[in-house]
Amino acid sequence: MNNLNPFAKPDHSKPTCMEMLQTILDGEATRDQKEYFKAHMDHCMPCYKSYDLDMALKQLVQSKCCGGEAPSDLIQKIKNQIEQKSS
Amino acid sequence: MELEELPKQHYSDKVKSEIFNNEFLPHINSMYNFGYRLTLDRDDAKDLVQDTYLKAYRFIESFQKGTNAKAWLFRILKNSFINDYRKKSKEPTKVDYQEVETYYNSDEVDRQITPDLRIESLKDMIGDEISNALNSLDVDFKTVIILCDLEGFKYEEMAKILDIPIGTVRSRLHRARNLLKEKLSEYAKSMGYNKA
Ligand SMILES: [Zn+2]
Repeated sequence: MNNLNPFAKPDHSKPTCMEMLQTILDGEATRDQKEYFKAHMDHCMPCYKSYDLDMALKQLVQSKCCGGEAPSDLIQKIKNQIEQKSS
Repeated sequence: MELEELPKQHYSDKVKSEIFNNEFLPHINSMYNFGYRLTLDRDDAKDLVQDTYLKAYRFIESFQKGTNAKAWLFRILKNSFINDYRKKSKEPTKVDYQEVETYYNSDEVDRQITPDLRIESLKDMIGDEISNALNSLDVDFKTVIILCDLEGFKYEEMAKILDIPIGTVRSRLHRARNLLKEKLSEYAKSMGYNKA
């Protein structure tokens, strides 16, 4: 184990659990950060629990809020409008 | 309008229609969903998407072929929504985000309420609960959730789409996630899920 925390900020201040978790959730974590956080969760119960809940929610948002397809006539309507305007 | 201020490209009609068909149109489903989440009305969403594509075509020479079309389109849609649609609706006075965001940036944050939501109750939400909860958030908050979680945009792209600094994107996302969990936790309570 080394002491370098890949989440450390430019001023070397220590990131909080919540800051680390957010970087992961927001999809901004590097590979090092992801690995560090995985190891961190082994000994930090609050992170472990929040991670599970937050990831489950994120996945639910992805499956429940994607909205499906745009109405089938929309593309044609747009194309017609463009043709009208450019002729 | 700032779209006009960018350095212009020069495209033939053939190239224009290639860009339009191959780089712009493939994002129409994402655009329509974004439009629908913002307006909460299918017809308004259609109009908004149509306006966005017409604008994108009109300003196509401000777009550099092969760059991030999706972010560019989302930015136009979001601006059209603010300029043309939001005005029409009578929204209540907005909270002062500056204040909210500074507050949530403070160290207090870790000791703030972690919404009382359990993973077990999330798993019971198999209907429209999640979608309704997202829709019920204030526009600025639902927007960052859509951009990040549904569309996979990075902080930097979101900052450009929304014209806000990256730090604000981050704190707004944090706040938005908590608000969403609060909504769902209220919902869970009303359904008696959390009584264990
Ligand atoms: Zn932790």
